[in-house]
Amino acid sequence: MTNYKRAKWADWADHIRSLDDPAKNFEKPEALDDIVVLDVSSRSMAGCYCSSLLAELGAETIRIEPPGGDIVRSYSPSGIMHQGTGLAYLQEGRNKYHITLNLEKPQGRNILKSLVGCADVLIETYPAGTMEAWKIGYDELKKLNPRLIFTSITAFGQFGPESSRKQYDYDNISQARSGIQYGTGEVLPEGKPVDEMPYAVPTKAGPWIAWATAGTFAALGILSAVYFREMTGQGQAIDVSTPEAYERLHDYALHWYADQGVLNERFGNLDTALWLYGFYPTKDGGVFLGGLRLEMWKAFVDILGKWDEWEADTWTTLAPFMKKDWQVKYQAMINPLTAQFTSQELTQKSIEYAKTGRLAPITPVVAEIASPWKTMQDENWRDRGIFTPVQDPVYGSVVCAQAQWKATETPPRTKWVCRPVGYDNGYIYLKYMGFGPVKLKELEGMGII
Amino acid sequence: MTVFKDYVKNKFSKPAPLKGLRVLEVCTLLFGPAGPSFLATMGAEVIKIELPPVGDVTRSLNPFGWFYREQGPMFMHINPSKLYMALDLHIDMGQQIFKELCARADIVEFNLRPGVTRRWNIDYEEIKKVNPGIIYVEKNGFGQWGRYAEEDRPSNDGAAQALSGYAWISSFPNRPPLKQSIWICDVYGALMCEVAVLAALHHRRKTGKGQYIEMSQSENIMRTMGWVWPYQQLTGKGAEPSGNRDQCICPADTFLCKDDLFVAIAAPAPDEFKGLCVAMGKPALAKDKRFKDHTTRLQTENALAILKIIAGWARSKTADKIEQLGVKHGFAATRLHNSKDMNKDKHRIARGFVKMIDDPLYGTYPDHEFPVMMSASPPKNRWTVRPVGFDNDFIMTTILGRSQVQIEELYAHGVLGKWKDQQGRRPPKDWDGKSGAILRR
Repeated sequence: MTNYKRAKWADWADHIRSLDDPAKNFEKPEALDDIVVLDVSSRSMAGCYCSSLLAELGAETIRIEPPGGDIVRSYSPSGIMHQGTGLAYLQEGRNKYHITLNLEKPQGRNILKSLVGCADVLIETYPAGTMEAWKIGYDELKKLNPRLIFTSITAFGQFGPESSRKQYDYDNISQARSGIQYGTGEVLPEGKPVDEMPYAVPTKAGPWIAWATAGTFAALGILSAVYFREMTGQGQAIDVSTPEAYERLHDYALHWYADQGVLNERFGNLDTALWLYGFYPTKDGGVFLGGLRLEMWKAFVDILGKWDEWEADTWTTLAPFMKKDWQVKYQAMINPLTAQFTSQELTQKSIEYAKTGRLAPITPVVAEIASPWKTMQDENWRDRGIFTPVQDPVYGSVVCAQAQWKATETPPRTKWVCRPVGYDNGYIYLKYMGFGPVKLKELEGMGII
Repeated sequence: MTVFKDYVKNKFSKPAPLKGLRVLEVCTLLFGPAGPSFLATMGAEVIKIELPPVGDVTRSLNPFGWFYREQGPMFMHINPSKLYMALDLHIDMGQQIFKELCARADIVEFNLRPGVTRRWNIDYEEIKKVNPGIIYVEKNGFGQWGRYAEEDRPSNDGAAQALSGYAWISSFPNRPPLKQSIWICDVYGALMCEVAVLAALHHRRKTGKGQYIEMSQSENIMRTMGWVWPYQQLTGKGAEPSGNRDQCICPADTFLCKDDLFVAIAAPAPDEFKGLCVAMGKPALAKDKRFKDHTTRLQTENALAILKIIAGWARSKTADKIEQLGVKHGFAATRLHNSKDMNKDKHRIARGFVKMIDDPLYGTYPDHEFPVMMSASPPKNRWTVRPVGFDNDFIMTTILGRSQVQIEELYAHGVLGKWKDQQGRRPPKDWDGKSGAILRR
């Protein structure tokens, strides 16, 4: 832990830390240690992300792949492999037992049915109708286990006119269908052809945010279904469509168009609904500037030394600054000013202003736009356990983002990052099916596992 | 799936999953309130507690000056299906009433700076005394401890996008980092937090124990960034942005089409890639040694080569045509949707994902349904927001058993309050003074 000036309320911070520091996670119980999850998801990391969240909470999670492994294991930047596994899967194999099973063969499907008898949750991501065609759809499986929570995460959902499409669910497709990508990105100046500015286009976000969102909504649905099952004894089917899940995070675009006919056009690094709120250039990169109250915006103008020139004294409301033309006008005035400082200098100015400025303690939010590299080195996050490497018996020491929340009783934790294909066939098939080495060899010979 | 036949039509013939849960929220803006509204649409009774008479700041926010019947549209989207109470937590009597509510609640959520709940005498230790099973949640920028928290840094969604590396990696190479058009760290963070809450609820059912949960919106978004972290650790290099190209899946990118619309395409699996090559009229590409399998295709040089070929082809076809070819040849492809599609798309409407709300105060308008369809216990978005303190009397009477005289006294002391006569706080102009009021009209 680095040294820093402790807050006046440091006793509070220390008290909470003593209760929920991720360093103590392994001393605590797991919330879902009575739940068994089968993850048969295919091609989609939404399913794997969903089962990861449950596995981080202690569910016994059995990842079922076709012999040879799911293609998701090959998802990796530039195709880099770490001991035969892609870097993306090295994050979302966490805490799961990995077995193989060929669902294209009837014997394989019979084995799945037996496992379903012991399971609480099943997660699948095949195009709608695939599981039914294999006779392992919800209607069949619920006969074997009426308590089963059968969860499908797909591109088009289980019903609706487009649900008959046989296409798999990919993150970039779902981002495109959500309507969010359309409104995100640099603005193409009027009259400029896209070919000259190929970066001024609708732009997708982050590594697989649509998949992560669908997986998280599905996990929330599953946990609510578990709660419902405790009350009623009844299992159910859950249908999550990835573009819908991601679109739900969009705020007012649906309503704005309905009421005003306004399309969610791109607005670059500004915000259609907020001021001061945007990314601005600095000498060494850029910063986020935020101040949703008039005083915070005035404080920022004061920091820039433009209080008198811009007549900040006379401003009585933020309303005109929210308008599109004013936003663009002031952005152009601010850009050259922030570009004279480094990100760190601006951050310090804001902290200093909170102590000594004319409007102190009011000050704008200034945050450096960090590269992920810088983020990973940041002592604050390391201290809070986000990047604590996982000591994996197969893959060695691997950094995983974890401890995404802290909790006093049942925090999430990562016990191992991944397993090679079929690594747990021995343990899981013995535990649930009584298959020993002889039987496994026979099934292997038949191409079942 | 037969269980989803007539799902939308029969939704209200089945209960919601979180029937019987009671949630209190003392939250403003987005990161805080978005989570409880997920629980509300899943059937929990959520009481939103605001400070009278101004309440949640989000009531003032609007895109380019557009309000819907005087209300902030994002406030409406973030806060559906809740009850609205205005209670002054700065004063002792307000804190006492809050504790009485906590004693009858399952979950309580805050988004305040660290230490504020203690100043208000409603911190976890205090609430635990009246309800040991309470699930107590604090959400903010940097959590309750650590350097940034102790520096009392303010935070919001944009700061979290910046500090987490999320914005950096979501940009085009050699361009300035790009801010998202949505408040992703706020609303995604709120979503993840409810996973924490429902897991804690499961633990409580088994053990009777409640717990304290803290969440930072920056830390939370880092969890979604997957491969970025081991990539940096194992290669010793920083992860760099790649615009619309997916660095882990090939081909997966967005392309400009003949009609100047955009199409997104993905085809990593052998059958998909072959389908795409056939659709392009270049079946031989599937056997090209540069593209022969997914791992080979992902090598940057090969990836750029195949994407260039696809880009050239896409420019000669309309976006709709490519989407149809995707259906026909079994690769994933879609035209980019926008907010017009959100409103008009038959698929969204047939699934009830986009639906009309029929609200006694705000009339009819379209909103999103909770995006998890559940065959036995469908979640339901039912009504929209209310003026500050609108449901005070209902809550005080039905939950705390106060008489009308006692309630009037609390108003007189400023413990309970009602809306200020200001946009977004008061009822819409044409309100008849009755509609939507539950207990007394």
